[in-house]
Order: sequence, then structure tokens, then C-alpha cells
Amino acid sequence: MRKILATTAIAAVALMALSGCSTRTETAGGDGAAAGFAEDSVIGVALPSKTSENWVLAGGLFEDGLEEAGYKGDVQYAGASTTVKDQQDQISAMVTNGAKVIIIGAADGGQLATQVQSARDAGAIVIAYDRLILNTEAVDYYVAYDNFNVGELQGQALLDGLATKGDGPYNIELFSGSSDDANSAVFFGGAMSVLQPKIDDGTLVVASGQTDIKQTATAGWKAENAQSRMDALLTSTYSDKTLDGVLSPNDTLARAIITSVKAAGKDIPIVTGQDSEVESVKSIMAGEQYSTINKDTRVLVAQAIDMVNVLQKGDTPEVNDTESYDNGKIVVPAYLLPPVIVTKDNAADAYANDPTLAPLTE
Amino acid sequence: MSEDTSTRTSALGDLKKIFGSGSSNLRQFGILFSLIAIILLFQYLTDGLTLSSGNLINLVSQYSYILILAIGMVMVIIAGHIDLSVGSVAAFTGIVVATAMRDWNMPWPLAILLGLVVGMLIGAWQGAWVAYVGVPAFIVTLAGMLIFRGGNQVIGNANTVPVPDGFTIIGSGYLPEVGPNTGYNNLTLLLGLVIVLAVIFSEWRARRVQKIMGSTPAPLWVSIVKVVLLCSVIVYASILFAGGRVGTSFPVSGIILGVLVLFYAFVTRNTIFGRHVYAVGGNKLAAELSGVKSRRVNFLVMMNMSILASLAGMIFVARSVASGPQDGLSWELDAIAAVFIGGAAVSGGIGTVIGSIIGGLVMAVLNNGLQLLGVGSDWVQIIKGMVLLVAVGVDVWNKSQGRPSIIGLLTRKKKTAEFPAEPPLVVPDSGTPESARPQSTLPN
Repeated sequence: MRKILATTAIAAVALMALSGCSTRTETAGGDGAAAGFAEDSVIGVALPSKTSENWVLAGGLFEDGLEEAGYKGDVQYAGASTTVKDQQDQISAMVTNGAKVIIIGAADGGQLATQVQSARDAGAIVIAYDRLILNTEAVDYYVAYDNFNVGELQGQALLDGLATKGDGPYNIELFSGSSDDANSAVFFGGAMSVLQPKIDDGTLVVASGQTDIKQTATAGWKAENAQSRMDALLTSTYSDKTLDGVLSPNDTLARAIITSVKAAGKDIPIVTGQDSEVESVKSIMAGEQYSTINKDTRVLVAQAIDMVNVLQKGDTPEVNDTESYDNGKIVVPAYLLPPVIVTKDNAADAYANDPTLAPLTE
Repeated sequence: MSEDTSTRTSALGDLKKIFGSGSSNLRQFGILFSLIAIILLFQYLTDGLTLSSGNLINLVSQYSYILILAIGMVMVIIAGHIDLSVGSVAAFTGIVVATAMRDWNMPWPLAILLGLVVGMLIGAWQGAWVAYVGVPAFIVTLAGMLIFRGGNQVIGNANTVPVPDGFTIIGSGYLPEVGPNTGYNNLTLLLGLVIVLAVIFSEWRARRVQKIMGSTPAPLWVSIVKVVLLCSVIVYASILFAGGRVGTSFPVSGIILGVLVLFYAFVTRNTIFGRHVYAVGGNKLAAELSGVKSRRVNFLVMMNMSILASLAGMIFVARSVASGPQDGLSWELDAIAAVFIGGAAVSGGIGTVIGSIIGGLVMAVLNNGLQLLGVGSDWVQIIKGMVLLVAVGVDVWNKSQGRPSIIGLLTRKKKTAEFPAEPPLVVPDSGTPESARPQSTLPN
């Protein structure tokens, strides 16, 4: 028993001795912005998995751009099968690393509230990049392309494309993005704001009857899911009809849809897209996919890094929309960039500044 | 222990008794040694961030649910089965609970209970197929993986469903701040002190029991070194956990994990049911001939796994503040990897709860350290895969050479001397004797 007492005493003394020199930090709150931060601070960038060219490109641009501006960039991708958990852990690691600004392209914007809150508590500023982070007060800014406008442009492109096929009514099918991505509903809403009047007046016919976003969703933005849904639609609905047009929310899905149609031995319909992926630009130039959207990732990344620069000096970054992006807890101040629709006709102009895409349009 | 062998027992041999005796403890020592080495390596590479308060707190709340799965998984694997459905069961429970709270305004404590009941029902369903119909667990749980993943998407419409703030305490809650301002979280310090006292008491009791039973306990200095080592680690850890940012301290999920580890370590080591699990996994026929109801054991083990999976799922949902369609993806692989790194055998009958927790911590520290260094998730996966292969490979190779572990190799000559007729040390941190063979001191 003597030993017990002795050890307990040692432990107690140790505790007390150490409690005198605590380094415990108080919660920093959201006022880190006012003061600015050092020019060589850590800037965290958390991106989803590398399943889309766009994210791979964005990651490279962030690495180069942040390094050029003198920051310590910490750019991380989530694993393909464990995106949500990886991203949560990576954001926590960035906070531990003392990141002053964390730019997040969310894998699932609804599941990051705990991590961004701890980022804010540690004094970091959170910028939601391209995808809004939901159900938390701890998002400082949102930077993205105007996604409702993207949807509108897609809807208009579909109508324009169909007009080149002669008179209606036209048979169309609708696809939307992953339901865990807040943008999917915005794209779809924008497109339907253009298409719905035409569906109502009979110019457009959704032959399968699947017009609800739950029916049209593509889980995980995965090409295979869009392809298998298109296969099923072709079998069930288009054995004796022609398919004139398909609303596709992005290029990866557009190509999957075209693959499916080709495999069924049908004529390729008017298919919309988004993101200006290399394969889709080739497809557009070859006359297969009809349109895509140019949301130049370079411009968006540059805008995000600009915001970091402004914050570094202790100023407040410019925003141009303080009403639209309600994340369930607050309205997040947003800076929205305008998207550009691209078809075969204007591809050469649209990609003139893009070293990868410009040669494809010649 | 005869005169002859005891004279050959060196100081090194005595030192090893710190980790208890028996070959499984030596294996655990090997993996524990690797864990410490990995922690020190990353502590160096990350300039001290690995053992900083904030990071330790993150580590516990990020991996507590994987470790909870590992507890159930090691029992399943000891019994000679596998469970591939845990991730889907976790996701299914998560969405049921989140939806119940959103649509029925169910109070959150009741919702947790509902989640556990859902886990129990799923477990009973899978357990019945495995134990009473006789379909291999691999197939039953592969089916379960599909069924409950689909179920998650049907109920949630593949949407992300947020949960109320009260519920999030089990995943992102911390011990509250109470009492005077000491510069630390008082409850966390208190918890550390309680654990220190428990360690001292149990060591003292173990020595007393050994004396009463007339066996030769390890020399006193071994006990003292062991207790001092353990206590300083605990004190150091509690100061780190208590010294994080104000508002954070030891995570609630970590406490849930700790209670489960103690409970299941006791169940597998000291209860009839626990020994039956080893018996069934080691040699089913022999176990049945000895009167073990192997079907009942299999049923309960599978059911237990699903209950723990549902708890893990709820903790993750609470941490994410929402249940999503991607919850639980590839968790089964993390849990299974933890169990095998922790020294379990694919053929069943071998493995310990503590070993699996250490195995899980190896993966957790590795993952966390690589993330702190900014290594991409692609490379993290490659490295984790290699670690799994090498850890199990070294183990298998050593066994085929007739050596329990590298440590065993270093001290092989002494081992043969002290191994026989050693009574089990009753201390909380020592593992179970791994053999399925009933021990003379245990009821059969």
C-alpha cells in the first residue's frame, strides 16, 4: 500500500506542477479575419476524390498558385471510396497544422459541420469552393460559378440544339447530379426553369415520364450509374421511339449517356454537358456531344487565391451575392463568376486562352 | 517453475513479464512496440504535432468508431467467421435514426436506443442465417452489405439527413468544463487520476492473488517499473487531452470506446461465453464434443457485431452532424485490417480485443500522421496496404519458423525456460491466452 500512496502522490504532484504552466488556448472566434496573418502561413485546400478532371486540375492550380503567392499550400484529395471520412480527417489535420484559411471543395457539404466549426474555433477562415457547406454557421465565404445560371444555359442549349433537328415535338430525357451535392438541385432547377414551359406546352416530351429530381439523380456523379440508367431507359421507352435530346448535368455523365446510346445502336441525340473536360471537347468537335459549359477552373482558383490574399492583409474580400446561398443556418456571402456555354461554333473562341483545350478546337 | 529454469531467468526475462506472459502477449508486445515506434517517428516528422493536444483529441474522435467495430470484428474472426456488412449496417442504422429524429421528432436518447434495437434485429437476422441455416458468414454478410446499403438509400432517398444538436454529443461531444479554472479540463484530469488508481490497485491485487495461490510473482521491481511506466503514460496523456483548446477535452466517443474495451476484454478473457468463442473458432468439433453450444455462440457473436456496428454508425452520424449515403463505405476493411494487424488468425481461434485495438491504433496513427504531412490519400492507401501485408506476413513467417514473434526470437532461449506452468497474470492490460484449449483454471 505504501507504493500506491507514493505513486499517487507523484502523479498528483506532476499534475499540479504542470497545471501551473498551461498553454491552453481560448477559442479564437471569427475575428481572425480582421487581423490578417503572416505571408507564409499554411493555407489548406481540401478537395474531393480525383474522379473528375476538374478537381485534379484545380488541385494543381492551387498548389502552384499558393506557392507563387508565398504561402505554404496544403492541398489534399479524399480517397475515392471514403471521401467523406477522409475529408473530415484532412480538414482536422489542416487545423492541427495551423492553417489560416481552409478552402474546401466538399465531397458531401452536409457532413462537414463539426470540422469547419473546429476550424473556426481555431481561428481559421473557411471558404467553400464550388460546393456550399451546409448546416453550419462556420462558413465565411462561398466562391463558385453561378450554378443556377449554368442550369439555365444548359436548358437553353438543349432547346437550341433541338431546333437544329427540325420541328417538334421532341422526345427528351433528363439527368441530374448526385443528390448529396447541393449543386445538383440548383443545376436542375435552372435547367427546368427553361425546359418546364416547353414541356407544359407540348414542345418537349419526357417519354419515360421521369421528371422528378429523385428519379433523375445520378448517385455519386458516377458515369456507370448514368450509363446504366440510360441503358434502362432505352430498353424500356425507346425501342420504338427516337430520342432527340438528353439534359446531362456534366460532361462525364454526357459521355456515359452517349456511350449507352451508341451501344444500343441509336442515333446520338442532343446532349448537354458542363466542365469542358478534354474528352468532351473532343466529342463536341467530332459532332457527338452538343454543348458543354466553360467554367474556367483557372479563373475560379485565381478568385479563391485572391480572396486569401485580401484576407492575409486583414481586409474583407469582395462578394457579389449575399442573398441566394442559405445553407440552413446562415446566408453565406458568395462571389459568383459567370459561366459560358460552349458549342462547336464558339469553341475556338471560348478556349483560346486554355493551353490544353485550344489545340483541340483547331 | 523449477530451480533450474528460474536461475536462467534473466533480467530481460523479468522485464518481459511487464507485458504478462504467454506467446500472445509477446505478439502484442511486438505490435505495441511498432505502435510506439510509429508514434515517435511521426512525432519527429511532424515537429511535435502528432502528440499535440488538438491532434490527440482528433485522433480519438476520428477513429473511435472504427475501433468499436474492431472489438466486434475480433470476436467474429476468433469464432472463425468474417463480417463484411458492418459498414452498410452502420449506414442503415444511421439513416433510420436520423430520419426518426427528423420526421417523428423522436428525442435523441430514445433514437439511440432505437438504433441499438435496429442493430440487434439486423444481427439476429444475419446470426440466424449463419448459425442455424449454416450459410457461411462471408456470404450472409456480403448479402447484408448489399441489402443494408440499398436500405440506406431507400430510406434516405440517397440524401444527406441532418441530425439535431443534442444527438451530436456522442460523436463530437467532450467532457464538460466543471469546477475551478485550473487551466485544464478538470474532468479529464480526474478521469486520468481514476485510471492511474485503478492500474495501481489491479497490479497490487494481482500480486496478492498470486501470493495467495502460492505462485511466484514477478520480482517487485518489475511491477514497479510497469506501474510507473503505465502511470506516466496515462498522466502525460490526460494532461494533453485536458490541455486542448477550451471547449475541447477527452471526447465522449472515446469514453464509450474505453468502456466497451474494458467490458469486451473481460468478456473474452474471463467469462464462459468468451472462452466458448475461442473454443468454437479453434476447433468446432472438439468444442461441440465438450458440450459447447456452437450455434448459440455463432448467433450471439454475429448479433453482437451488428449491435456494435449500429453504435459505430450513430457515432459517425453524430460526428458528421448528418447521415449521408456514403457513410460506412469500406469501414469493414478498416476493422478487419485492425484485427489482423493486432495478431488474429484467419483460421479463427486466435486474437484479442486489446491486440485489435492496438492494431487499429497503428492504422489510425499512420493515417493521421500521413495526413498531417500532407501525403495524398492515394499514397496513404498504398502505405496502409503494405503495412497490413507486412505485419501479417512477419507474423505468419515467424509462426512457420516456430517463433512467436521478433521479440520471441531475440529472447528465445529464455522463453523456453519460463514459459511452462506460468499462471495467468490478472492485470487489465495483459492479453488473453490465445489458445482455444481450455485452461485448467477456467470452467469449460
